[in-house]
Amino acid sequence: MGDEPLVRWHWIGTHLGYLRDLLLDHAVISLLPVLFGLLMALPLGLLCVRFPRLYQPLAAVFNVIYALPALAVFVVLIPYTGLATQATVMTPLTCYALAVLLPTTVDGLRSVPEPVRQAATALGYGPWRRLAAVELPTAVPYLVAGLRVAAVSSISLASVGALVGRGGLGYLFMDGFQRTFPTPIVAGIVLVTALALVTDAVLLLARRLLAPWARRESVVGR
Amino acid sequence: MIRFDGAAKRHPDGTLAVEGLDLTVPAGRTTVLVGPSGCGKTTILRMVNRMVEPTAGRVLLDGTDVAQLDAAKLRRGIGYVIQQAGLFPHRRVIDNVATVPYLLGWDRKRARTRASELLELVGLPPETARRYPFQLSGGQQQRVGVARALAADPPLLLMDEPFSAVDPVVRSGLQDELLRLQAELNKTVLFVTHDIEEAVRLGDQIVVLREHGRIAQVADPATLLAAPADEQVAAFLGRDRGLRGLALRPAEGIVLLAANTPLDGWTLAVDQEGRPTGWQRSAETIRQVAVFRPGLDTLRTALDSAVLSPARVAVAVDHAGRVIGLAPRAAVLDALDAAGPDTAAGITATGVADGR
Repeated sequence: MGDEPLVRWHWIGTHLGYLRDLLLDHAVISLLPVLFGLLMALPLGLLCVRFPRLYQPLAAVFNVIYALPALAVFVVLIPYTGLATQATVMTPLTCYALAVLLPTTVDGLRSVPEPVRQAATALGYGPWRRLAAVELPTAVPYLVAGLRVAAVSSISLASVGALVGRGGLGYLFMDGFQRTFPTPIVAGIVLVTALALVTDAVLLLARRLLAPWARRESVVGR
Repeated sequence: MIRFDGAAKRHPDGTLAVEGLDLTVPAGRTTVLVGPSGCGKTTILRMVNRMVEPTAGRVLLDGTDVAQLDAAKLRRGIGYVIQQAGLFPHRRVIDNVATVPYLLGWDRKRARTRASELLELVGLPPETARRYPFQLSGGQQQRVGVARALAADPPLLLMDEPFSAVDPVVRSGLQDELLRLQAELNKTVLFVTHDIEEAVRLGDQIVVLREHGRIAQVADPATLLAAPADEQVAAFLGRDRGLRGLALRPAEGIVLLAANTPLDGWTLAVDQEGRPTGWQRSAETIRQVAVFRPGLDTLRTALDSAVLSPARVAVAVDHAGRVIGLAPRAAVLDALDAAGPDTAAGITATGVADGR
């Protein structure tokens, strides 16, 4: 890149609005899929715990999807969801999030100690009510652990969407590379990292609020 | 009252957990199921609240077959305490205790007021209410478990080895607490343990079980210790059962001598109130006097008093500690003999007839 400096502050100063728009777009296309993934993982997870035979086939399907390269999936989806649309990027990201969150949900729901489960039954909880009132809240630390992994990987994967025209901050990497101009690349890296860190901090805060009873050492990190 | 009517449980793999069981658990008393691990005692307990469904026979609760009742509703009417307490980790102590009231649809305020009363009843300080279960000791968790079981004031309490996981000192305290609560509340309690000492201490009626839930003997504690049905039960009861049995009999009907009777040269010195201060013989003085209270203490305490006295007599005192008389060792043993024939008669009446 010759004598081009790593960061041209002037470029950043004149592109603040542009960077902000990309950051917001990136946050939406990477984090909404995690939310959708969670909304699907919760009912699917409850079904899998209630009817254990469902779990292995479902987990297998999402593992296969998880193994597909993101770029290939984006390209395959273009005829259906359109070039450079949010749907093209968010559909596979939702599947990836679900692939991470389904096992965590199931593990979390199953993490309830046997005496607790038995006490709940003996005190008069029916099976569904027990899942909602005892197993689900107990699973919160697990769910947050899964969400942290899913969110950070989604934020990182969303950049690839730039190759099909919708990658949020990922566009900065393509732009900088094509023009041999490192400033947008550095700005993109800094913003993606910041987004990941802030998201992680918000999730940790949510865990402290939702599960103040969870001792740190009792939470299984993934 | 609970009646097991030929209740049996065969697992799906064909193994037998409980052979047909016939047993009556009287209302308002504590019945203890005791036996080695794997004898089916927990299975029997769980047949009552339908956590285990019998594969043959019936379990009747106040005359109604529990199989005809809605399981969740039935369980809300039965207190249940288990070994690890099984408290909900995500709920504060107060809300753990209020679990069944919430399930029964009580409003939050009423349920929490009731829960506070119960925490007090089981001897937990009010500040415990706001804590989470992991912040409590094992003994405290177990007290919360008992409070939770009692929250909706169920007439029946099922307790599955509730005190087995705590250390002996705490266990003894929890047992005392249960005896105190039971004297106050008169619940029908069905209690499972593998610890014969605990069974003897807590039970009004003890059911000794063998493998497959076969009844070896049903008896009150004193009868059980005095007259085990067979060798196996005697072995299960362990050593010194004769002496341990004395702790279950009131020190009654002991013939007393006058308090100032000199014995072997020893006389009992008393203060102005009439309380014993020591034994005296010429220049010798022994300051420690072991006493017993007729009617309040047990024969074991009376015998202990007689063994410890240099004059070989037990010292009987009234509730205020004033001497009322002296009982020579022979008199204590005579009182024991007097209880003997009744015990033997009790066995034929309540005992092995149920055994299979």
